[in-house]
Amino acid sequence: MTEPPLLEVRDLARHYVVSRGLLRRKGLVRALAGVSFSLAAGRTLAVVGESGCGKSTLARQVTMIEPPTSGTLLVEGHDVAHADAQVRRRLRPRVQMVFQNPYASLNPRKTVGALLEEPLAINGIGAAAGRRSAALAMLARVGLRAEHYRRYPHMFSGGQRQRIAVARALMLHPRLVVADEPVSALDVSIQAQVLNLLMDLQQELGIAYLFISHNLQVVRHIADDVLVMYLGRIAEYGPKRDLFAQPAHPYTRALLASTPTLGAGARRVRAAVQGELPSPLDPPPGCAFHRRCPYAVERCAVDVPVLAPFRGVAVACHRVAEINP
Amino acid sequence: MPLLDIAGLTVTFGTDEHAFVAVDDVDLALDEGAIVGVVGESGSGKSVTALALLGLVDFPGRVSAHRMTFAGRDLRAMTEQSRRALIGKDIAMIFQDPLASLDPCYTVAYQLMEALAAHGTPGERRSRHLRRSRALELLQQVEIPDAAARMRAFPHQLSGGMAQRVMIAMAIACEPRVLIADEPTTALDVTVQAQVLDLLLRLQEQRGMALILITHDLAVVAETAQRVVVMYAGQQVETGPLPEIFAAPKHPYTQALLAALPENNDERARLQAIPGVVPGLHDRPTGCLLSPRCRYALDRCHRDMPPLDGPPERKVRCHFPLDAEGRPTGGWNREKAAEVAASMPS
Repeated sequence: MTEPPLLEVRDLARHYVVSRGLLRRKGLVRALAGVSFSLAAGRTLAVVGESGCGKSTLARQVTMIEPPTSGTLLVEGHDVAHADAQVRRRLRPRVQMVFQNPYASLNPRKTVGALLEEPLAINGIGAAAGRRSAALAMLARVGLRAEHYRRYPHMFSGGQRQRIAVARALMLHPRLVVADEPVSALDVSIQAQVLNLLMDLQQELGIAYLFISHNLQVVRHIADDVLVMYLGRIAEYGPKRDLFAQPAHPYTRALLASTPTLGAGARRVRAAVQGELPSPLDPPPGCAFHRRCPYAVERCAVDVPVLAPFRGVAVACHRVAEINP
Repeated sequence: MPLLDIAGLTVTFGTDEHAFVAVDDVDLALDEGAIVGVVGESGSGKSVTALALLGLVDFPGRVSAHRMTFAGRDLRAMTEQSRRALIGKDIAMIFQDPLASLDPCYTVAYQLMEALAAHGTPGERRSRHLRRSRALELLQQVEIPDAAARMRAFPHQLSGGMAQRVMIAMAIACEPRVLIADEPTTALDVTVQAQVLDLLLRLQEQRGMALILITHDLAVVAETAQRVVVMYAGQQVETGPLPEIFAAPKHPYTQALLAALPENNDERARLQAIPGVVPGLHDRPTGCLLSPRCRYALDRCHRDMPPLDGPPERKVRCHFPLDAEGRPTGGWNREKAAEVAASMPS
C-alpha cells in the first residue's frame, strides 16, 4: 500500500457567522468553499490570492487552530476534522506555522531560548537540559549564534526575527510548515536570506511547505505546485510550470499581468482587470470573478463553475476551453 | 533648468554630539513632466527626503542643503507662509497607507473640499457650490465608480484601493506641478496596485505633472520611471536613466539588490542574498556604508567614504564603480578583496 499524502484536503469549507449590527440579520461569510488539494512530503504548495480570498482561513484549518465547517482534512491519513481531541493533539506538532510579521509573532517578554523551548515544554518533550541543547542546535541550524539564546526579540532585525520564528516552528520536527506571507514584511536583501533558509531546511529535513503569498515572483521561485484562490474558492490549481507558462483562468492571467517585472523592458504597467474584490459578505452569484472578468457571459453570473481538469491543471471557469484555444 | 533642483540635502536628528544623519548629501533634479523613481530598503532615507522637500521635518530634525529650488524659487529662503501656499498646491504628496492618511471623522467630500478651500482658484475659495462640483469632478477623474454616492462616504467605508484614489484626487485637486508618491501601492493587492499605478501614470501624462515615486519595489520602478535614484542608509548611491541603470548598474548595492530578486535567479536555486543588514543608528561603519556587506570591498572602502561622482545624469558613489559587464574598475583586484574579506570579523 502506498503512503498517503502528507496533507489531503477534500471539499473543505469554513463559514463564519458575523454580526452586522444590532438590528440587522447576521451575515454568513463563506471564507472557504469546496477546496480540495493534496500535498506530498518534501514539496511546496503555494497558495496565491488577494486579501479576502481565504488564504489565511485555509492556514487556520490546516494547522488545526479551528475545525472546518465541512469537508475532510487528512494529515498523514488521519481525518482531523472528525478526530477526537487526543488524535488532534498528537497531530498538531506535525504541522507548525510561521507568521507574516516577525515583529508581532514573537513574545517581547520572552528570551529567544524560552521562545524556542516553549513548544517542547508544552508537549512535555525532554528535560530542561535537553530542551536547552535542542534550542541551541536549532539556533545554529537557522544561522543564529549561541549567544543569541539569552537575548530578547527587540534586539534583532526583521530578518533575524523571522529566522527565530522559523526555528520555533521547527522545534517539534514538523513534517509540514504553513508559512503565511513569511517574507512580505522583509526588505529585498533580507527576503532572499529567509527564502534561502526555507529552501535549505526543506532540502535537509524534507519538510513540506504550504506557502501562502501574494508575491508571484517569490512563488514562481520556490513552489512546486500553485493554488490560485479567489473569494474562498479555487480558481486554478496545478504544477507551477504549467500554471505560469499557460495561465488558463482569467483571474490567474490578471494576477500575472498585474505583477510588475524587471524584465518587462519598456512595458508600462497596465490595469489588467477593473474593479476590486467583492465583499465576502455579499458575494456575486455564479462565478465570483464574473463582474471583473473580461470574458464573462450570462452563464457566469448564474452557475458556479466547478474545478475541472484542463491541460495538466485544474481550472474553475465555464469558458476555459474557449479562451485557451 | 530643472523644475525641482536639490543639491546636498542633509537631514539630521538628535543633538550635535549624537546626531543621526537620516539623509546624507542627496542630489535630486526633476524636470517638468518627468518621472523619477527613488528606491531603497527600509531606513534608506527615502521618505525623510520627501518630507524634507515639503518642509515637514519637525524639530529635532534639521534640514540643510546647498541648493533647494522649485521653479527658480529658493525653498530655503521662503517664509513659512509662502511655503505653505506652495506645498499642497504646486507640490503635493500621497502616502503609503491611505486609510491612515484620511481623517476618519469627515466625509470624502468634506476632505476634498477642504483642500480646495485652502489652495483652490479664487472662485473655489469663495463658493462652496463650486468646490462641491469640483470635488465630484475629481472623484470621477480618479475613476471612482458611483462618485456622487462616494462623496458622502467616510474613509472606513472605502476599500484600500478606493481610499488611495481619494488621496490621489486630493493631491491633484490644485493641479500640482510635482506629485510625490511615497509607496503609493504597497498596502494594496496586486491587481489593484496595477490599477492605481496605471491611473497615476495617466494623470501624470495628461497633466504634464512631474512624479517622484518612492518605493522599495524595483519592479514597480522599472515599469514606471524614466530615471532612478538608488538610496542606501540615507545616501544616494547611484542615479541614472532606465533601463540602463538596471541593465548595467554601476554600484555594487544596485547590482546586489537586483541579483537578490527571485526573477533574476534560476528557479529553485539559492538566491544571491546580500549578507548582513542595513546599518542602523549605532552601527554605522567607517568608510563606505556598504563596505561590511559588499563583496568587492577593499581596505580603502573600509577607510574612506567614496564621493558621489560622475556626470549629473549618471552618478555613482563607489571607489570601484562597475563596468558594463558588472566587474569593478579603478584598479580593483580580486586577490586583495579576498584578503580583506578574510581579515574582517564575521
